[in-house]
Amino acid sequence: MLSAFILLPVLGAILISLVPNTNPNQNRPRIIALLFGGVILLWNVILGFQFDPSQTAMQFTEYIPWISWLGFNYHLGLDGLSLPLLFLNSFLTLIAIYSSNVNIQRPRFYYALILLLSTGVAGAFLAQDLLLFFLFYELEIIPLYFLIAIWGGGRRTYAAMKFLIYTALSGILVLAAFLGLVWFSGASTFDYEPLREQVIPLGIQLWLLAALLVGLLIKIPIFPFHTWLPDAHVEASTPVSVLLAGVLLKLGTYGLLRFGVGLFFEAWITLAPWLATLAAISALYGAFAAIAQQDMKKVVAYSSIAHMAYVLLAASASTPLALTAAMFQMISHGLISALLFLLVGVVYKKTGTRDVNVLRGLLNPEKGLPIIGSLMILGVMASAGIPGMVGFIAEFLVFRAAFPIFPLQTLVCLVGTGLTAVYFLLMINKVFFGRLTESLSQLPQVDWGDRIPAIILALFIVILGLQPSWMVRWSETDATALVVSPSLLSQVAQAPDQALSLGDELSMNVLPSRSGNN
Amino acid sequence: MVNTPTKSLAQHPLIDYIERLERGEALLQDSPQNVMEVVGILKSYGVVLDAYSRNLIYTSQHQFLVLFPFFKYFNGDVSPSRLLKHWWHDRINFEYAEYCMKAMFWHGGGPLDEYLDTPEFRQRAKEALKARWRGNPFMLTLNKIFPEFLPEQVRVMAYYSALGQFWRVMSDIFIELSDRYDQGEIQHIPDVVQHILNGLVADANRPITYQVEIRGQTYPIIPPEVGLTFLMDTAVPYVEAVFFRGTPFPGTISYNAQAYQIPGDQASFTYGALYADPLPVGGSGIPPTLLMQDMRHYLPDYLHKIYQATPRQEDDLLVQICATFQKSMFCVTTAAITGLAPHPLNTTDPAEKAANREYLVNWMNRFITSRVESINR
Repeated sequence: MLSAFILLPVLGAILISLVPNTNPNQNRPRIIALLFGGVILLWNVILGFQFDPSQTAMQFTEYIPWISWLGFNYHLGLDGLSLPLLFLNSFLTLIAIYSSNVNIQRPRFYYALILLLSTGVAGAFLAQDLLLFFLFYELEIIPLYFLIAIWGGGRRTYAAMKFLIYTALSGILVLAAFLGLVWFSGASTFDYEPLREQVIPLGIQLWLLAALLVGLLIKIPIFPFHTWLPDAHVEASTPVSVLLAGVLLKLGTYGLLRFGVGLFFEAWITLAPWLATLAAISALYGAFAAIAQQDMKKVVAYSSIAHMAYVLLAASASTPLALTAAMFQMISHGLISALLFLLVGVVYKKTGTRDVNVLRGLLNPEKGLPIIGSLMILGVMASAGIPGMVGFIAEFLVFRAAFPIFPLQTLVCLVGTGLTAVYFLLMINKVFFGRLTESLSQLPQVDWGDRIPAIILALFIVILGLQPSWMVRWSETDATALVVSPSLLSQVAQAPDQALSLGDELSMNVLPSRSGNN
Repeated sequence: MVNTPTKSLAQHPLIDYIERLERGEALLQDSPQNVMEVVGILKSYGVVLDAYSRNLIYTSQHQFLVLFPFFKYFNGDVSPSRLLKHWWHDRINFEYAEYCMKAMFWHGGGPLDEYLDTPEFRQRAKEALKARWRGNPFMLTLNKIFPEFLPEQVRVMAYYSALGQFWRVMSDIFIELSDRYDQGEIQHIPDVVQHILNGLVADANRPITYQVEIRGQTYPIIPPEVGLTFLMDTAVPYVEAVFFRGTPFPGTISYNAQAYQIPGDQASFTYGALYADPLPVGGSGIPPTLLMQDMRHYLPDYLHKIYQATPRQEDDLLVQICATFQKSMFCVTTAAITGLAPHPLNTTDPAEKAANREYLVNWMNRFITSRVESINR
C-alpha cells in the first residue's frame, strides 16, 4: 500500500514524459499531473481511515530485501509521525500542481519533476531503513534543484547552486551519522527499529548526533545554517516555494524527531539545552531579519526560519507533549507558509512586484486584490498565533510543553512570536492598506483559479484551529512512544486518549535532571 | 459661489478650459465614447433620481416629524415581503439621497436658506408643530424647553422637499436625454450640455413650494408667495453643496480637523463630486458607493459593453461607474456655468467677453484641484 506513494508519482512522471512534444494540447502534462496528484491524495485519505492511531508499531509495513550483504533493505512503514506529513506532502503537491502557471515553459519536464519530488519526500517519510531514508532525502534534491534552476527568477542559477551545495552537505552529514551509528553499534543492518535498541557510549553518540544535527539544521534551516533558504525562496516560482516551505523543510524536523530523538536519545538530552538556545536565537534572528526585509517573499521566508525554530524548541524539550507540539507546529507551519507563499505569488503575478515600498492599498475592494488581501490577513493572523487558527494551537502547545523544561529559551521564543505580528503587520499595512497607488490602478482580473487553492488552505487553517484534536490524535501515541519505555507504552495502549498525560508524567519522572540543565 | 483672487489669465493652469467654454465646448472632451458613457450613465442616474425624488417628497409629506421613521424608505408600502426585500437589501440606497440633502442643508446658501431663518418661516413652522403635536403634552413641553429643536427638524423637512423637487426635474431631463440619444438626436458632448441647459432654463422659474397635511388640514411651510424657484434656490445651492464643497470624507484619507487639515471656512471646502477620488469607491462607508451601487442596476447594455472591454472587465464596475459619472457631472456643471454666465459665452462684444472671462476665471480657480484634467486624460 505504501509503495503507491513512491510508485504512483514515478508512473505519472513517466506517463507525462511520454506525451509527444508536438502535441498541440499543452495542457495534457498538467492534467496527468493533477490526476496523479489527486489519486495520491485520495489514497492518503483512504490510508488515514485504515490507520489505527492507538498503535505504536509501524503500520502497513512493506519489506523487500535489497542489498542484504550491506544490511540495506526496502523497508517502509507508517506511524503517527509520518502520516500527517505524508498527507501534507500529497496535499501540497496537488496544490502546487494546480497553482502552477498553465502556460509554463517545458510543461512535461516541470510536472514530471514535481511528481518526482513528491516521490522523494514521501519515500523519506515512509523509509524504515536509514539508508533508504538517505536515498530519498538525496533524491528530492535533484528535482528541486532543476525546479529552481530552470523555472526560477533572475538569480536562479546562483540560488539553485547554493541550495544544492547546502543540502548536499546536509545529506553527507546525515549519511555520516548513519554510517557511524551502524559502525559503532556493530549492527548488521540499517533497519530503524533494531538500531533503536543499540547501546553505544555517550561520547560517540554525541559526535554522531552532532553530525546528524548539523545536517538536519541546514535542511530546516536553523540559524546560522539558513542562508540558502531566502535565496531559494526568492528565486523559486510560487508552487516550488509552496513545496519548499510546506514540505521540504519538514524533512529536517522529521529527521530530528525520528533519528535525533529516536536513535540518540541520551545524547539528545545532553545537547537539548543547547538546541533550545539555538532555537531561541534562530526564532529571534528570523523575526528581526523579517522586519528588515523589503521583499514580501523574503519576509515570509525569514518568518519560516523563525517558525521552524519552534519545532526545534519543542523537539529539544522532548516530552511526549512537546513532540506532539513539534508535529503540530510542522503541520501548522506547512499550511500557513504554503498559504502565504501562494498569496505572495498571486500578488506578484498580478502586480509584477513584491516590493513592500512599491505596493500599496491592495485591499481596494474594486481595483485591488480584496479576497487575496483578506486571505493574507487571515494567514498572517494564523502565523502570529491568533486564537481560532492552527498557528495558535501549535505555538501554544510548543510553549506550554517547552516552558517547564527550558523557561528562558521559551520566553525568548515567545518574544519571537510577538515579533511575528510586528513584521507581518508592517507588511500588511504597507502593501494592503492606504490608497491604491496610481500605477497599480489597472491590475488584471483575479480569477477563482488563483483563489481556490488559497481558500482551501485557509479552511484547513481555521478548521484545525477550531478542532485541533483532528490532527493531534494521529501523532500523540507515537510521540509518546518515541521517548518513553515500552512498559509505559502498554499503559498508553490501554488508554490511548490519556497518552499525553501519562507520557508527560512519566517522562518527567524518568528525566528529572533535565529541568536543571539549562 | 465664492470669489477667489484672479490669476494672470495667460498663466492660468486651466486657460485651455476657459477657451474651450468660450468656443461653446464643454469641460469634457467630445468623443463618441464620452457621449455614449455620459448618456448611458445619466440614463441610469435618471432612474435612480426618480426613486430618490419620490422618496424625498414622500418623507417630507408623510413622515413629517415622525420621531422614529422606521418605514421612511418604504414609500407607504409596508408589507412583509417588502420588509424581507429591505433586509435582503433588494432596494434603492435612499440613504444617499439623504446624504446629499444633509450636505445641502449643512452648507446652506441662497434664498431658501435665508427664508428658513425668517420670522415668517418660524411662524409657519410653529403652526404646523402645534397641529402635529396637538394632544401630546410631552412633545409640546419638549418644544417649550428646547424651542430650537423641532423648528430645525422642519427645516430639514423643507430641504427633503426641495431636493426632491429638484431631482424630479433632473430625472426627467436625463431620461429625455437618453431617449433623444437613442433616436440619434444627441451625437456630441455639446449636444448633451445644450439639452441639460435647455431643461434647466425651461424649469428655471418653476416654483419650489412645500406644505404638509396634518389631520386633514394643509399647513404651508414654503408657500408660493415666498417666491423660491427651481434654478436659483435648488439647482445652484445643490451644485455648490454636492458638486463643489461636499463633506470632508473622501474615503481612504482621514482628516484631523483639530490640526486644521480642514479649511476653517466652509466655502473653501473641495470635497464634492467634482473632486472625488473614484478609486476608494466600493470600500465600506465611502458615500458615493451607495449611488454607484444603485446605478449599476440600471446601466444600459452599451455601457456594460464599454466596461467589459476594460482590463478588469466588470470587476471594478463601481469605480468605472464613478469615473463615468464624474464625466457626466462635468457636463452638468458646464450647463450650469453656461446658464449662469452674465452674457452668452460666444459673445463677440469685448466688454461682455471681459465680463464673461472674469466669471469663468472665478469658476476655473475652483477647478484647479478638481478632477477636470483626470477625466480628459
